Amino acid sequence: MTQETTPGSGSLVEVAGLEKSFGGQPVLRGVDLTVDRGTATALLGPSGSGKTTVLRSLNVLETPDRGRVRIGEAAIDFSSLSPDKGERRRAIRALRARSGMVFQAHNLFPHMTVLGNLVEGPIRVQGRPRDEAIAEARALLEQVGLSGREDAYPAQLSGGQQQRVGIARALALKPEVLLLDEPTSALDPELVGEVLAVIRDLAAQGWTLLIVTHEVRFARDVADQVLFLDGGVIVERGGPEVLRDPRQERTRRFLARMLEAG
Amino acid sequence: MRRVGPSRTLRRVLPLLLLGVGVLLLGTPSAASAASAAPRPVVRVGTEGTYPPFSYADPKTGDLTGFDIEVIRAVAQRAGWDLKFTKGAFDSLFPALDAGRVDLLADQITINPDRSAHYLFSTPYTYSHGVIVTAADNHDITTLADLKGRTAAQSQTSNWTQVAKDAGADVKYVDGLDQAAALLAQGRVDATVNDNIAVLDYLATSGSKKIKIAGSAGNEVSKQAFAFRKSDTKLRDQANQALAALTKDGTLARISQKYFRADVTVPNSGKVEVKGSDTGRSTWQVVKDTAWPMLRGTLKGTIPLTIVSFICGLVIALAAALARLSSYRMLDVPARIYISIIRGTPLLVQLFIVFFGLPEIGIDLPSFVAACLALSLNVGGYAAEIIRASILAVPRGQFEAATTIGMDYWQSMRRIVLPQASRIAVPPLSNTLLSLVKDTSLASVVLVTELLREAQVSASVSTRFMALYCLAALYYWVICYIISLGQSALERRLGRHAA
Repeated sequence: MTQETTPGSGSLVEVAGLEKSFGGQPVLRGVDLTVDRGTATALLGPSGSGKTTVLRSLNVLETPDRGRVRIGEAAIDFSSLSPDKGERRRAIRALRARSGMVFQAHNLFPHMTVLGNLVEGPIRVQGRPRDEAIAEARALLEQVGLSGREDAYPAQLSGGQQQRVGIARALALKPEVLLLDEPTSALDPELVGEVLAVIRDLAAQGWTLLIVTHEVRFARDVADQVLFLDGGVIVERGGPEVLRDPRQERTRRFLARMLEAG
Repeated sequence: MRRVGPSRTLRRVLPLLLLGVGVLLLGTPSAASAASAAPRPVVRVGTEGTYPPFSYADPKTGDLTGFDIEVIRAVAQRAGWDLKFTKGAFDSLFPALDAGRVDLLADQITINPDRSAHYLFSTPYTYSHGVIVTAADNHDITTLADLKGRTAAQSQTSNWTQVAKDAGADVKYVDGLDQAAALLAQGRVDATVNDNIAVLDYLATSGSKKIKIAGSAGNEVSKQAFAFRKSDTKLRDQANQALAALTKDGTLARISQKYFRADVTVPNSGKVEVKGSDTGRSTWQVVKDTAWPMLRGTLKGTIPLTIVSFICGLVIALAAALARLSSYRMLDVPARIYISIIRGTPLLVQLFIVFFGLPEIGIDLPSFVAACLALSLNVGGYAAEIIRASILAVPRGQFEAATTIGMDYWQSMRRIVLPQASRIAVPPLSNTLLSLVKDTSLASVVLVTELLREAQVSASVSTRFMALYCLAALYYWVICYIISLGQSALERRLGRHAA
């Protein structure tokens, strides 16, 4: 089901018929989703359901076996990849340039300062003037509440601070959509709040967000759209109210477990 | 004790300086062949430098001297040559001549049928005979026939070795007479066969009472002459003309009298008297006299070899490591084979292949370059696996993070992965560097004069093995100690971002 949408009509991200197997084991079995510009989408599901694989397919950290991915005007159809290596590489780079990624384990560059982590992409990849990149990086650090920590190394920060730097680093490239892969799962419970607050802030400012998360309450508060993934397909989709009254039995069971644990 | 760590400026300048020395040595063009039409051709002379009284380092000045050296200098003056001496172990002399690294050999080369078939000889300038040397308390060996079934220590390519073998001796190979004598004194071998004069000189110099001349090695007079490549008739003819003139004007006789109180340049010289090339120096004096030549060997040989080989080796290693990590079989397989060969063969064999083997297929490199090439390839093979492991030790997420901010493979490597891998690689690569410092001692077999070679040169004259080799050990240790200080500083610097 490929509904043709032109950019500007609202749908920024579009995934259709995504399939992926690992070692013969199917993980994604035809995932379809759209994310509208300026909205926050929460992707939920039990572990092993393929949420992270969906997210990593959007910037081709995983290469899907079949299916189509579009972000803005950049699209790749993995069912009919170009045989030309250079062309394939250009298409992947164009797609990647439109998203920013926040990792579960932050993956900050440990040998660079906080500021260095933020300006690396803008200066080295986008070729932006150094002064401009630094000024923007400082503004981003202020936004995530880390003014004054420009010269610290990642190892000198707390887990929550590290993840906020990770978010700022992804934003520094001015992506069209921010992909967040379980941004709070690796954090100590008392540090989760500060990171969620930053994400909530981004949603309020109109960033387009796609968040893989286990935080059901947070998803209910922030998400405009909720997708529930199980067994490699999306089994439930809708507004945040879906989380109060799921139609599917397995969604209901999963949510009950998560709310219990959370 | 002086502080070992050099000043900060020196630390910065020294590597550049040493690199400069290396480049200079690399850049030295191999001397023009004597056959060229240049007015004063440079003739390259191969000699041991460790065979007193024929070819050795003057104990007082450290300069190359000896009977053969004075004769070839007199010849050069007559013939209008400029000389350039290359010192190497006896067994590397003929290969060096074959490979075109030297133009003639001046090292008491005895004429025999085998050699005459492959080389040109000048007219002889020494007539002598062979003697059998044994431990002083050995009374079983007096003639060649007694050597049957006994062990004899000999240089591999010496004609005396053939004499010993023909007599049925079980030959153990050594680098020269001084080592053979040491083995005799220690009772590790039964005998050695060598030139009468050389043995007399050794006895006079060392004052050794542990070994003696036990008998004559046959009655044949052996004739020694300069050896040339078969094709160099012009050079040989020039040498012969000069020798004839020097015989006529008495120069050869005078040089011989100076060394042997007899004229060994004609047959039937009568009894030779050897005063010994080195007598009366105390061990301390020997050490003092050798300290500078060894430092020179360190600065001109060991250190430039180490620096050039390590830098080139790291470049090779990085390329090989990336090839190993590549998903292209065309890159991975050759890198695997290269690493396997380097790690599966002795460095000495690699040196021999590069230095003596490559000229046979037309690749003729100067000594220093050949040594650097072999050592670089060796370092490359070992360091490749260290670098590969270090890259793999950088978490996968780092590469992914670099990818998501838009970096391509090379940017990710250069900016993100390699800086982190380098920190992991510093301790094991330092080990490689320390090994390399010591491995450079093998370069002496391909005629590079480095630290250990200088120690050997001095030891051959003075026979003070213990003191000189301990001094050499001290030099190596100091170099390695300085490197380990550098390692600590580098680790601190690369680790500054760790909490």
